[in-house]
Amino acid sequence: MKKRVLALTLTFVMAVSALAGCGGDKKSEGGVIKLGGLAPLTGQYSEYGEGFDIGFNKAIDEINEAGGVNGYTFEIEIKDTQSEPVTTSTMATAFAEDEEVMALLGDFSSGACKATAQICDSYGILQLSPTASASDYAAMSKYFFGIMGRQDVEAPFLAKYVLKEYLKAQKIAVIRVDSDWGKSCYDNFIIQAEKEGLDVTVETYATGEKDFSSLITKMQAENPDVLVVMDQGDPVADIFNQADAAGWKIQHVALGPGTSEQVAGRLNDKDNLIVTSPFFFDPDDAELTAWAEWFQEAADFAPTIHPACAYDCVYLIAEAVKNIEGEVTRDSLRDALAELPEYKGVTGSIKFEADGDIKRNYMICGIEGGEWKVLEGFEYGAAGF
Amino acid sequence: MEYILNQLINGICQGSIYALMAIGYSVIVGVVGMVTFTYGEIMMIGAFSSYYIFTGLGNNLPLAIVGAFAGSFIIGSIVYKLCYERFFNAPRHISLLCTIGISMLIKNLAQIVFGPDTKPVLNVIDNTTFTINVFGADLNIRLLQIIVIILVIVFAVALTLFFNKTKWGVMLRAVSQNKDASYLMGINVKRTALLGNCIGCGFGGIAGILLALYYGSVSATMGASYSTKAFAASVLGGLVDIRFSALGGLCIGIIENMGIIFTSATFRDVFAFAFLILILIIRPQGFVSKKGARV
Repeated sequence: MKKRVLALTLTFVMAVSALAGCGGDKKSEGGVIKLGGLAPLTGQYSEYGEGFDIGFNKAIDEINEAGGVNGYTFEIEIKDTQSEPVTTSTMATAFAEDEEVMALLGDFSSGACKATAQICDSYGILQLSPTASASDYAAMSKYFFGIMGRQDVEAPFLAKYVLKEYLKAQKIAVIRVDSDWGKSCYDNFIIQAEKEGLDVTVETYATGEKDFSSLITKMQAENPDVLVVMDQGDPVADIFNQADAAGWKIQHVALGPGTSEQVAGRLNDKDNLIVTSPFFFDPDDAELTAWAEWFQEAADFAPTIHPACAYDCVYLIAEAVKNIEGEVTRDSLRDALAELPEYKGVTGSIKFEADGDIKRNYMICGIEGGEWKVLEGFEYGAAGF
Repeated sequence: MEYILNQLINGICQGSIYALMAIGYSVIVGVVGMVTFTYGEIMMIGAFSSYYIFTGLGNNLPLAIVGAFAGSFIIGSIVYKLCYERFFNAPRHISLLCTIGISMLIKNLAQIVFGPDTKPVLNVIDNTTFTINVFGADLNIRLLQIIVIILVIVFAVALTLFFNKTKWGVMLRAVSQNKDASYLMGINVKRTALLGNCIGCGFGGIAGILLALYYGSVSATMGASYSTKAFAASVLGGLVDIRFSALGGLCIGIIENMGIIFTSATFRDVFAFAFLILILIIRPQGFVSKKGARV
């Protein structure tokens, strides 16, 4: 009888152990890593938000279909922030309070990204922004990371290499958006412009402005050599179109939109725009072309660097997870991302510096015959400043 | 001098569009008796109606104006049915809240249906600039600006004639002045208010097409900032007087653009609303000569 009781007890214990073991194996093999996406799905930056949505989800689908990373699969929930700092803070807090969310991906504008510094510090959750480029963004928090590149490199490149050397311009009219990002661009630009001896006149406008006719009249009176617009998306095309409509014949230069097909498609005079860009969808690169074609089909508009950066962000998180030994936590993920070796993404080589940001190199691109071309490659600005 | 005159032209042109927006807004407030938060979206619908006519049928401006008026007129009737008709005798805040909700609904639906991206409206009117010598200064005025100003004058005069010379106009004015008395005089108040709301929305639609032409683009979110300007201009005109509302719109446009001469464009709204506050402090009833003047 005692033997029977002992046998039953042992059987029960073994069965429970086996069941517990099953659970334990599942846990050690991984699970689902939940990511919180912050993106302007509506509002004036909704094109970029839609690009984020598609870029994030494509990368996640690819990673999950390939079997995940270290037994982990990924999922993302994207909340609409309109890239407004107050909304971004609210949405970031909602994600941070959900212990299952391991990292925040987003937001679009530097101002919106900066608004979550205290939240990320308090909750110990990393924020990886595809597009924040203000030079003081990543340094605000040890949990902040960005992969767009920084304005303290791109804006001086514009002053020295685009305006002074390539266009040989002297008198510059700058119209910039009055935002964190616009101020950061201009502050970094003017330091180098003064070193180069450029004569710069600047005017600002509020975010969301549509009427630039009076600004254009004001700038026209200064008789500059080049009109530079520092903004992204619609206002860039609006300003140049309204300058054309005013009969103002002047070289157009933009800092911010990169080789945006949306901007190019909206221009009245398509062959009169020069931009700085860290990235170009080279038609000779089969992999990049395939990615761009896929995006075009999914989004119904051509990609810029922004969705490509969103796509890279997910892969960077996956790479960081790959390097974590043991359980993935918010802290281990943050540390693994900071220590990540150089990663080759769709947008090029990415290696985080000590402050969590990266520095990119820039090209000079322009539109010729309605299509973006590289006018000068990365080697043009290789000498630095 | 040249610079100041050119800014004045910019201001008059922009002010003319604000004037048309304000006229439509004042008609709605006058006839319905309540302010609306859907006006920005109504203008956006007008702008998109014209965009699709330009895209599908070529740069036919008269047809686009008809399309913009019709598109906004139809949406205006839906707004009326949803927000006003059932709530004539209810507390006013119910209709107000309804217009806020409908405004958000239209904007978000527009983003889904029309897409989130900004659409270009380019080269509808020749990019011709005329230079006129005024007291030794070269004044540059674009063909587009001339057309915008003429269209605004034509529509403002047409609406004034409609209100003063037609039976429907007299009925609309009667409803605007006293709904109960109009009802006792045999006027179908609800149907007349519906027509007035739709006409006001139609004018908003025409303002939408002028905005699209002047700024060269349309987007689902374009209405928000302009509805504020329409409201401000309408308040300057005493909310329900279309002549003074038009004057209010013109003043706001000129003040905004002249203010840029002295400071940054970032502060253009500061000039506009500082002017509004100043006028309301001096004349709380706005530009109107006596309280109670209506369409």
